Amino acid sequence: MTTTEPATRELTSPADVVAAFFEAYSRHDVETMTEMCTDNADFSYVPYEVWGKQRVLRGDGKVRTVGKVIWSGLINSFPDLFNVVHSIDANDKGDVVVMCDIGGTQQSPWGFAAPKGGRFSEPHLFIFHVDENGLIDKIKAYWNGAGINRQLGHLEVD
Amino acid sequence: MKLFKRKSIPREEQGIVNTTPEQTVRAFLNAFQLRDVEAALSVVDKSVRVEIFPLDVREGGFDDIRTALTDIVTAFPDLHLVIKDVIETGSVVTAELKVEGTQAADYAGAVNQEKHLDVDQAWRFTVDGDHIVGIHVYWCQNQLYRRLAVKRLDQIAIV
Repeated sequence: MTTTEPATRELTSPADVVAAFFEAYSRHDVETMTEMCTDNADFSYVPYEVWGKQRVLRGDGKVRTVGKVIWSGLINSFPDLFNVVHSIDANDKGDVVVMCDIGGTQQSPWGFAAPKGGRFSEPHLFIFHVDENGLIDKIKAYWNGAGINRQLGHLEVD
Repeated sequence: MKLFKRKSIPREEQGIVNTTPEQTVRAFLNAFQLRDVEAALSVVDKSVRVEIFPLDVREGGFDDIRTALTDIVTAFPDLHLVIKDVIETGSVVTAELKVEGTQAADYAGAVNQEKHLDVDQAWRFTVDGDHIVGIHVYWCQNQLYRRLAVKRLDQIAIV
């Protein structure tokens, strides 16, 4: 039997890890974004709520099961999806807080918002935690969904 | 007419002399929890820069944060503020909050229907010395309006 040494990662600061994450996001490289996270990394997009008749879908779960799906869906709906990072603040415990704008032009449905070719750019706040191995083990984000919906011309409060 | 006026907590009693950025922010949040707007503002610099994205406050200042705090404690007199997490990253302190309460007056254009509100928020503070000099506030106004039974973003006051 052959044993394989675990891949070694060049350890950088938590702020560098998160900066690289946003660079991957700019390239729409969801695989790299996911690989930068631990297998069990927590994911929470707080404003993400899709209210159905019998249940509410929330953007809470794990990066590999929920986050990856949301990122891919966003990029599919907004093929020119972009991010502009304004600040990255970190501490020596692995906490990283990012202020950024995320935006794009809608080409296919997103949630209940039908595509009208609308373009949005909305301030976001991301809170990450990076573990001692340089892997992201928590991603949480806040933004004003009403701001996005207004820009896209979707005025119903679903 | 109010018979009793809420007394603001003196800054010394709040322990904000030679404090860490987190302690300064906690003094603000603790006062906010007590619905004591003036005490919360006592740790905010008069030249503070304020951005409250859901309320469309951009490049705002001291009066804007005063108005925002006053509006919410007035509209939700049973306001319950849960401090879920406070993260200090140098001079920047980020607080994750849950704001809960029962609407008792119009708020952000939404007519009072006595609905219960619970909305998760993130407040990012910048601290200089023992004063807050920057506040960026994030929550989803869609979630807030949904809980207050608003149906459309272009007809917020229509029930």
